[in-house]
Amino acid sequence: MRKSFFAAIGLVTLSFASRGGAQGALSLQGLGYPAGGLSARAEGTGGGVADFDALSATTPAALAGVGSPALFVQYSPEFRRVTTASGTATTTTARFPLIIGVLPMGQSWTLGLSSSTFLDRSSETTLDRLQVVGAPTDTVTVTEQNKVLGAIDDFRLALAWSASPGFRIGVGGHAFAGSNRITLTQLFPDSAKFISSAQAGRISYAGFAASLGIEYHPSRVIGFAISGRKGGDLRAQSGDTAIGKARLPDHYSGSVTFEGIPGVIVSARAAHDNWNSLSSLSSSGVQAFDSWDIGAGVEATGPRIMQRIITVRAGARFRTLPFGLNGEKVSERTFAAGFGAPLTRERASLDVAIQRAARSAGSDVKERGFILSIGLRVSP
Amino acid sequence: MLSCSENLDSSGVCAVLCPPIGGDVQNITIDAVVVDTTVPSLSGLGTEPGLLLASRGDSLDTRVVIRFDSLPATFIPVGDTARPIASVDSAYIQLRLDTTTIKGADPVTIEAYDVDTTANDTSIAAVLALFRPDRFISSQTFARAELTDTLKYFISNAAVLARIQSRAPLRVGLRAVSVGSSQMRFISTEGAFGPVMFFRATPDTTTKPLTVVPFSKTPVGESILAANLTDYTVIAKAPPPAAPSVLSVGGLPARRVYILFNIPSNIIDSATIIRATLLLNQLPNTGLDATDTVALLPQVVLAGRAVTDPAKAAQIIGAISVDTLKLKPGDSGPTNVELARAFTLWHTQKPDTLPRAIILKSVSEGNSPLELRFSSSEDIAALRPRLRISFTSKVPLGLP
Repeated sequence: MRKSFFAAIGLVTLSFASRGGAQGALSLQGLGYPAGGLSARAEGTGGGVADFDALSATTPAALAGVGSPALFVQYSPEFRRVTTASGTATTTTARFPLIIGVLPMGQSWTLGLSSSTFLDRSSETTLDRLQVVGAPTDTVTVTEQNKVLGAIDDFRLALAWSASPGFRIGVGGHAFAGSNRITLTQLFPDSAKFISSAQAGRISYAGFAASLGIEYHPSRVIGFAISGRKGGDLRAQSGDTAIGKARLPDHYSGSVTFEGIPGVIVSARAAHDNWNSLSSLSSSGVQAFDSWDIGAGVEATGPRIMQRIITVRAGARFRTLPFGLNGEKVSERTFAAGFGAPLTRERASLDVAIQRAARSAGSDVKERGFILSIGLRVSP
Repeated sequence: MLSCSENLDSSGVCAVLCPPIGGDVQNITIDAVVVDTTVPSLSGLGTEPGLLLASRGDSLDTRVVIRFDSLPATFIPVGDTARPIASVDSAYIQLRLDTTTIKGADPVTIEAYDVDTTANDTSIAAVLALFRPDRFISSQTFARAELTDTLKYFISNAAVLARIQSRAPLRVGLRAVSVGSSQMRFISTEGAFGPVMFFRATPDTTTKPLTVVPFSKTPVGESILAANLTDYTVIAKAPPPAAPSVLSVGGLPARRVYILFNIPSNIIDSATIIRATLLLNQLPNTGLDATDTVALLPQVVLAGRAVTDPAKAAQIIGAISVDTLKLKPGDSGPTNVELARAFTLWHTQKPDTLPRAIILKSVSEGNSPLELRFSSSEDIAALRPRLRISFTSKVPLGLP
């Protein structure tokens, strides 16, 4: 008894599945959330003081104002709650978004080395969906677990020059590198009938950029800063295979600071990023939007506690995030407050900021987040 | 820091914010069967974990043979030294009965015959020829209520003593006789609770009875076969086999189905198999116990390409599932046998090393007359065995 060669394909059932990112939050669309490179101090002022802050990674010029060698580390967990018509999700994302080392060299030059989170894509989702597996009437629930870990980081080597407190200039070279580790698991309910599958992938990124910053204080009362970063190519690679290429977004910012009130610094900043240049780094057509980042804040001398003068801060910030949801921009409004305190005879300082962020994308999806930033500066 | 332990799980909003990532599931049904045939189960005489004793009129007649080739010649009375056995009393064979296998409500008489012979050890005809009056040893009748899980079958003391004194083997053949239909299955030595014979060598009850376990001295030089033949089932009459164009699983003598597939290599090598189902058409077998349940078990053939004979290849097999498919011989219609686990194995081996072949066997192979029948690839196209495979292509994980 024998029989023939196979041939006839009897039934082919296709069920559409997108390969779009399943990040499960407004702020995690596309390649992820831009942490911004702001120090806890800058975050506490809504970003207004960032371009005058040596411990933020937004402009190389500000390095010249650091005064003494310093090492700065920041920890910024975000407690996020996403609400949709069908449910809510509460998550905690732990980030170390900024590490900076600054070294003055002589009277005029300052060298800075930093690592800041450029786009953080860490997320985890579980989705149950019905799937026809077998006969047309054999519908089963597939549990699809998707986990993405990793980020693209901005490594900057910068050199700043300043001959007087009124003028500072700096240049920086940036290497963008990082990876996303993706795990997709499909679980089926009956192991006697179905085989659950797990698939893992790793995508790495590499790119370069250069930045220039200028800070000018025509008087002790007012100061201006401008900075820009010109992006080069950003390549995405899976193993040895190039899977995408885009331009790193150009970045421009302008800031102003006013110190006309004793003990008070009022600052404001506007920045623009050409995120749209990253649109080609998408396999599912996730749209990237150019964005404005506008913030202002106040920093003031506060109470003296335990022989230490506490600096208090407050600010607000508005920006749109790089990647949209269903073609709509995701906007983020942030209100921030914080304080700074010197430690151990001025050889260390602690900066703390708390930000309340509200994100929306023109739909009934709402996202609220608290970002607690704790920065520690040590001067050896 | 309290927040060092991350919780990234956003599943609560996935209905809106998590489009599916997994690949498209494709379900294809293909005529992938290259060879399908019924082959005998060659596990060998006496390898079954059960001993089937049946008397079912013209349909089924099976006997049981138990060999006691090593009988004690002496015993030790209490407080004394060893003495030759000069008498035998209360001789019985203890049989462990699987009471779920009992068929028939009428009393059943179990007759014992001397089936010792110098003929070939595996000659069924030679053994069956010895179930005749001059070989009769004893008989015992059991009412249905007396058929409990431990059965004491009393055997002729004189017959046992004669074998002891003549230093001859005692080989007992059991036959069931009933006015109606009768069937039962004893646990064999291979089933771990085989028959054991007890007798007293002295009327003094303070001396413990002697215990004799089955043992076969022949065939000489073939210890494995000899061990199998310590107890075994002899088929005197069995239901007729299915037609050659029909696939047959189970029955007596036991049969298996061997199926060799030709599966597109791109499916096995490149795709992720989620489910694979062998689509069979069951044919009704209205013979014995048509409404009883048979547990069907698919297993993967491990024989390489060098083994070209399906009958031999079907003996070199490996488990792919502990789940069985429960079928009734009298039923008919479409039947699905799940084979996804076989594909997991095939994915790791090339077809040259491991042909894409399976067998279908009954869990109670050799212990039950029940037989399942299926349409073969010689049947009309709609009823032939086919393979339905559900698979996804690998998803290019990486960019959002």
